[in-house]
Amino acid sequence: MQAPLSASSPPKPHIEVDHLVVNFGHVPAVRGVSFSVLPGEQLTLLGPSGCGKTTTLRAVAGLEQPASGEIRIAGVPAYSSARGINVPAEKRGLSMVFQSYAIWPHMTVFDNVAYGLRVRRTSAPKIAEKVNDALDMVQMREFASRRAAQLSGGQQQRVALARAFVFSPAVLLFDEPLSNLDAKLRADMRIELRDLQHRLGITSVYVTHDLEEALAMSDRIVVMRDGLIEQVGTPDEIYSLPRSVFVADFIGSANLIRGRYRPDLATDNLIALETPAGHVIYGMAYGRPVGSELVVSVRTVHLGISSERPARTQNVWPVRVEQTVFQGDFTQVHVGWGDQRLVARCAAMEPIAVGREVYLTIEPRRVVLLGE
Amino acid sequence: MERHARPVTGSAVQSAGSLVSAQKMAGYGVAAVAAVLVVYPVFFLLQASLDVGDPQVRPPSAYGLDNFGGLFQFPQILLNTLTVSLAATVMALLFGFVMAWILSRTNVPGRRLFEQLMIMPYYLTPLLGALAWGLLGAPESGFINEIWRALGGRGYLIDINTAYGIAWVMALFEGSVAFVMIAAVMKSMDPAFEEASQIIGASRIRTMLRITLPLVAPGVLGAAIFVFAEMLGSFAVALVLGLPSRYYVVTTAIYQLVQQYPPKIQTAAAMGVSLFAVMFVMLFVYRRIVMAGSYVTITGKAFRPRVIDVGPLRLVLLGICVLYLFAAVALPLVTLLYASLQKIAVIFPAAENWTLDNFRTAMSMNAVRSALGNSLLLGFGTATIGVLLMGLLAWVIYRSRLPGSGLIEYVVMFPQAVPRLVFAFGLMWAWVVFPIPIYGTIWLLLIAYLTVFLPLGVRTIAGVMLQIDKSLEECAQMCGASWAFRMRTVTVPLLRPGLIAAWLLLFIASIRELGASILLMGPHSKVITPSIVESWFGTSSELTAALALIQTLVVALAIIVLIAVTRRIGAHPID
Amino acid sequence: MADIENEKVTRRRLLTVGSAITAVPFIGMAAPSVLTQARAKSPTKVLDFLTNADVAKAEQEGQLVFYCHENEAGTAGIVEGFHNDFPKINTSYVRAQTGALYNKILSERSAGRFDVDVIQLSDLAPAVDFQHKGGYELYESPEASAYKAEHLSSPAGSFFWTGVDFAGITYNKSKVTPQEAPKSWHDILDPRWKGAISCKISASGLQFVQWYTLRKLYGPDFWKKFANQKPHAFDSRVQLFDRLAKGDDKVTAIGEYPAYILFKGKGANVEFVAPADGLPATPLIVGAVSKAPHPEAAKLFVDWAMSKRGQAWYQTNPNLYYGSVRTDAPPMPTGVRLGDFKLLYPSDWDEYMASRDVFAKEWNGMLGL
Repeated sequence: MQAPLSASSPPKPHIEVDHLVVNFGHVPAVRGVSFSVLPGEQLTLLGPSGCGKTTTLRAVAGLEQPASGEIRIAGVPAYSSARGINVPAEKRGLSMVFQSYAIWPHMTVFDNVAYGLRVRRTSAPKIAEKVNDALDMVQMREFASRRAAQLSGGQQQRVALARAFVFSPAVLLFDEPLSNLDAKLRADMRIELRDLQHRLGITSVYVTHDLEEALAMSDRIVVMRDGLIEQVGTPDEIYSLPRSVFVADFIGSANLIRGRYRPDLATDNLIALETPAGHVIYGMAYGRPVGSELVVSVRTVHLGISSERPARTQNVWPVRVEQTVFQGDFTQVHVGWGDQRLVARCAAMEPIAVGREVYLTIEPRRVVLLGE
Repeated sequence: MERHARPVTGSAVQSAGSLVSAQKMAGYGVAAVAAVLVVYPVFFLLQASLDVGDPQVRPPSAYGLDNFGGLFQFPQILLNTLTVSLAATVMALLFGFVMAWILSRTNVPGRRLFEQLMIMPYYLTPLLGALAWGLLGAPESGFINEIWRALGGRGYLIDINTAYGIAWVMALFEGSVAFVMIAAVMKSMDPAFEEASQIIGASRIRTMLRITLPLVAPGVLGAAIFVFAEMLGSFAVALVLGLPSRYYVVTTAIYQLVQQYPPKIQTAAAMGVSLFAVMFVMLFVYRRIVMAGSYVTITGKAFRPRVIDVGPLRLVLLGICVLYLFAAVALPLVTLLYASLQKIAVIFPAAENWTLDNFRTAMSMNAVRSALGNSLLLGFGTATIGVLLMGLLAWVIYRSRLPGSGLIEYVVMFPQAVPRLVFAFGLMWAWVVFPIPIYGTIWLLLIAYLTVFLPLGVRTIAGVMLQIDKSLEECAQMCGASWAFRMRTVTVPLLRPGLIAAWLLLFIASIRELGASILLMGPHSKVITPSIVESWFGTSSELTAALALIQTLVVALAIIVLIAVTRRIGAHPID
Repeated sequence: MADIENEKVTRRRLLTVGSAITAVPFIGMAAPSVLTQARAKSPTKVLDFLTNADVAKAEQEGQLVFYCHENEAGTAGIVEGFHNDFPKINTSYVRAQTGALYNKILSERSAGRFDVDVIQLSDLAPAVDFQHKGGYELYESPEASAYKAEHLSSPAGSFFWTGVDFAGITYNKSKVTPQEAPKSWHDILDPRWKGAISCKISASGLQFVQWYTLRKLYGPDFWKKFANQKPHAFDSRVQLFDRLAKGDDKVTAIGEYPAYILFKGKGANVEFVAPADGLPATPLIVGAVSKAPHPEAAKLFVDWAMSKRGQAWYQTNPNLYYGSVRTDAPPMPTGVRLGDFKLLYPSDWDEYMASRDVFAKEWNGMLGL
């Protein structure tokens, strides 16, 4: 539950990570990462493998030993290199769902979920009540006395979830919990997890390499690369306003266009750049610095393909269809544009023959200037 | 579902410098024990080897390298050791490779049974093998030679008391370790490599030569080095078969130097140190070849290798398996039985040569009454304490993140490089001056066994431990469990089948132990295998055969009972 | 009373050695035990012999730890005899060849371990040395009157000769023709026995005696020539005769008479030769050890061993077959007495003891270490 926003009391962060550095031997995995998580929000660490997101998560959990930096939970340092503090993982009051689920095969489902409560010396009747409630929430109640080793992947995942929140932790950490599931299950679980998190109102830090997952579930996303943060923002911001080539590219489905800045053609609040092939394209700066060489990004979904010439004047070009890729719900249309090929995502439509001449149009506000 | 913030309270915050958790205490405690066990005797060994003063004076009056210089007087011993070890290694690798290939790559019937049986020579011990083959292959009185002469041959067919005879017996009985290692290598090879070769159209032979062999080569090379190091430290066979003709290898020379009158302790110590330096280097090379995780023989995935249909060759290969087991198990046992029932063992005894006296005498000897009891007791003690100690050590080294765990691993694996006899030498010296009177008692043997079995036990338990996903323990941590709690509720239950296997292994190892025990036995602490050796030195071979058979039988019974018991309390399947 | 002829050990000799020893102050507990002796207890009769030990106390102690040079069966045989007569006293033993055994007890004592009650050695030299070091308990047995002074320690009370072991040449009749058979000591140097002849290791008391006496007779080259025979050397006579009986060796240069009797009885085709120049012989020395954990049992054992009963056991047990030096002992089971043989003892015990190191070096060198 987020505290109501008011001018005089901005919500205090629940977790703060400050200049965190984690090394594996001589290899730096996390090279100075800072972010904070607000109470009740889900923050997702997103990035390609090797970017340090899991390491960061595990450092917050207390399972990795950082080299320097500070980690505060509810304002109290759990790790501080400056002050020589390092609280062991079991005392941080966090909870975690592992990628491999880590279901203990020698215990029943009930015992698995009850573990955290037993550690906290909860009374037996209370344990039974809480465990059953938790199992209900993940629809695993009927499996309570089943041996944990006999469950399927999806079932194990739910048990892992129930186990993680049954003792009402303040924070839930997720280490790519859905990556071992098949696509359909993943899609379903995504929604369930999001639901659960909202209902419980638990602060969550989530790690994934899957863009869709991040966009669907997060309140805010931290995009990481090579041990550093590339961009922090809401899903919409990340998606619509990527800050760098990497983020734009990683988020996927982005066309990158490079060109020379044409200050003479700037109108309203639009900027213009000229590609080496001579096309002029109008876009928006969104506060990013404007240099002499620019890179802009356009989502594939924002490229319009039509057989008739549209009415507007800016950002309209005749192009040739070079390839189409049928994807069911949509079709990818590759068009030749100057010396570049652009990809448009078009909703299901009449198949377009390769080689046809069509018109490409892009709304200028969809052409986003990138930072570098 | 209530939500309450669980703040990290001040009391839970501890500064990293003064963290005294149960984990650290147990970890460092157990590491200290291991260090004392290993380093203390080695120190004395080194001290003795550098002592150039009067041997009777302790502590040493003068230090120097003269003892090592004196070793050059014995070039023959070095040559003998190399000859025997090389020959034995080559033979052991041959047996091991052939058997491994037959049992994991061909469709010979009864493969699984044979794999189980391959461990029998290990149980029987090289000592028994040496005794039996001594009876079979002595140039004058050996059964095989007597049959040879009866068939019209002249002189003798085989002389087991030579370098190659010794190597043969060593390979038969100590070679099963080569089999285990090579079989593991074969099982860790992805059959897809061979399948790819065959799809392209290569013949089976070509695939074997160009694909299989090169893939298997590094593993086999590693096994070769390991086996060679083991052969260098081998003792029992050279003792029984080499000593009569005064054919010494380094280990038996050390034994002889210590036992003779007056003993040449310093020379023996120098020999011991030199031997272990060589073995150390070999094992270092071995680890570099086999790279990280070498103590776990099967890491990660084990594939099911493609089985080749060898058609009519199946019977021939089956014959080879049977032949190996015949030579290493059946023949020795039958030979010993045959000899034990005679007054003077010959191959064609007269009617009055048969007797049960040997068994009668054997039953009344110290060696049977107290030695059996001591051995079983010691086996229990070693296995139980060992599992606890080595389990904790394995955890400290491979799972905890305590600083210095690398060093501890080094210390624990150190006895691998030191032949048991040499280690016992240091132990003998180290504990005779210890204020607590454990010298000559069963406690000293216990300490000795725990020390020399450290690599074996830690490696076995580590192998099982490493197969347990780390996240299972981490998750318990995240649920708030302290180290002790999660050890008890998660780690140990998951480890249980592995711990039981390690227990049995340690039990068997301690019962068959010779090299360390033979120097440390006292009047009240006789144990089986050395007392068989004593009997061989001091009584007739027929009596020794009877003794050996009685003891083997009792131990076999004990092991069967134990296996049955542990099956009950032990295994439950884990994914 | 048959005398042992050609016995070079004179009373005077032993007394000289003995007085030299008494001049050296005893170590440790020897002083109190001297006091014990001063009390002059009157002996009690137990079974059919006399003892100064407190039998009840000995049985209370309930244990006897025996260190002996004999092979396993022999040692087990000795303590079995004692245990049969005193079932309440459990026995345990350690056996090792004399050299190694003596070594062991010395290093134990130097480390402060006193675990032994009685020790039996097959060589006078270490026995005297041990006496010199105060290792023996001073105990005057009432049975000592049945022994000549030369068969007791000097002064009496440390140890006694529980028997005599002697050796000639023995060969396997099925491997050796009568023409080839060795007749004198020189025959063991015959090159035809190269690689087919056996002897004992340097820790053996009797082997030391044989070396010393034959060297005295034939000069130092004798044994150097023997080295060319590449003999097989063993710890115990049982091993030697085991091999001889099976034909693994054709001749043994140190064929002990008791072993010959034993194996002949087993049906082995072996023949004993007593060379005219004499048979090297060594006393078998038993004594109670000082600072023993079970002192009364130790004393009782000494008395038992010295008694007619004990000596009969030593003489008739097939693993022992010792010749007894007790003045009233019957003949050996085969009918012969020690006196029937020409036994060679070291003529000069001092020189003998002093040459130990030379022997060890030469013998070990012959055997490769």
